[in-house]
Amino acid sequence: MSLLNSFRNHNNFRNILATASSLFFKRNIFLSQSLYLKEVKEVKINNQLIIEANIIPAPEEDRLLKTALNTECCAVCSLGVDIKHTDVPLLAQFVRSDGCMLPRRITGLCKIQHKRITYMVAMAQKAGLMSILTPPDSKKDPKRRPKWKKFNTYFDESTIQLPKEYKIKIKDF
Amino acid sequence: MSALGRVRQWNAFSQVWHLFDAKWQNPFQSAAVITKYLMGKHKPFYHPFANCGDVVVVINSRHIALLGDEWKKRVYFHHTGYPGGASWTLAWELHEKSPTMILEKAVYSSMKGNLQRRHTMKRLIIYPDDIIPEDIHTNISSQIKQLRKVPKVLESDEVNNFPRIFKLPVDYVPS
Repeated sequence: MSLLNSFRNHNNFRNILATASSLFFKRNIFLSQSLYLKEVKEVKINNQLIIEANIIPAPEEDRLLKTALNTECCAVCSLGVDIKHTDVPLLAQFVRSDGCMLPRRITGLCKIQHKRITYMVAMAQKAGLMSILTPPDSKKDPKRRPKWKKFNTYFDESTIQLPKEYKIKIKDF
Repeated sequence: MSALGRVRQWNAFSQVWHLFDAKWQNPFQSAAVITKYLMGKHKPFYHPFANCGDVVVVINSRHIALLGDEWKKRVYFHHTGYPGGASWTLAWELHEKSPTMILEKAVYSSMKGNLQRRHTMKRLIIYPDDIIPEDIHTNISSQIKQLRKVPKVLESDEVNNFPRIFKLPVDYVPS
């Protein structure tokens, strides 16, 4: 069982490669989904075996907006769009499959926009618009939620209040 | 009177049946619009003594939407008249008991309390779902525009087709 678990942990690590590990352990059965994030190439030159792992470009690379590559400000600031809590396909990019927010070190958002997006994700979840991105044990159908939660609710984005320390001081500029 | 003028007058004073879809609509904001059509205030020759109001058929009143936490904050008061007969019902409790009452009360209270109000309210027909009896369905010839857009629920394939607005780190493993 411990061997079995170690295989599973191996697969979770990105740098441990499915193909490379097969060099050490001869196995063709995967215990978890293989991610294929790197491509392994074996090149033989003059009795010298070179194994190189190249990163495969992500499938969402061709859908990436130009504003995402802006380094001056964060992705949402550079987008320049008034985001509402009903824009669920956009908000879904900032959450994990269980509905948790991705951390700022991954999304690269500024503090203000991270807080705003967090509130809007909560609004969308309460309105039952993002119920496919919820923990597996939750009630997926918003109509089956208890008490007042089963009725339709909408929100006003102007009610989002950021903490005092997040407010930009005009003096600094 | 010419034939054209006669027909124009018939059209002007005929009672139009409007349809209003209350799905994801705020009942208190839509009540203001519904009363305008019920009283005939959208007509240029409106007069309070003239019987020029239209009929409004409201569907999907079960699926109205309230703002924020109004479902548990809005309270409906009733008093039986006897001592200790006061009762306070939350909006979500009332909506569970009667899916049409919140909208009906909203329209009723959005009008001035005069003798005409009860007669005007008789021209309002509310259905909790989108099922309308055939004899009422045949009368409908107009539709009132919704005030709020009905929000779209996220579907799984929608996420994979939407443009990405930020770049994930190279060593990021999606969970």
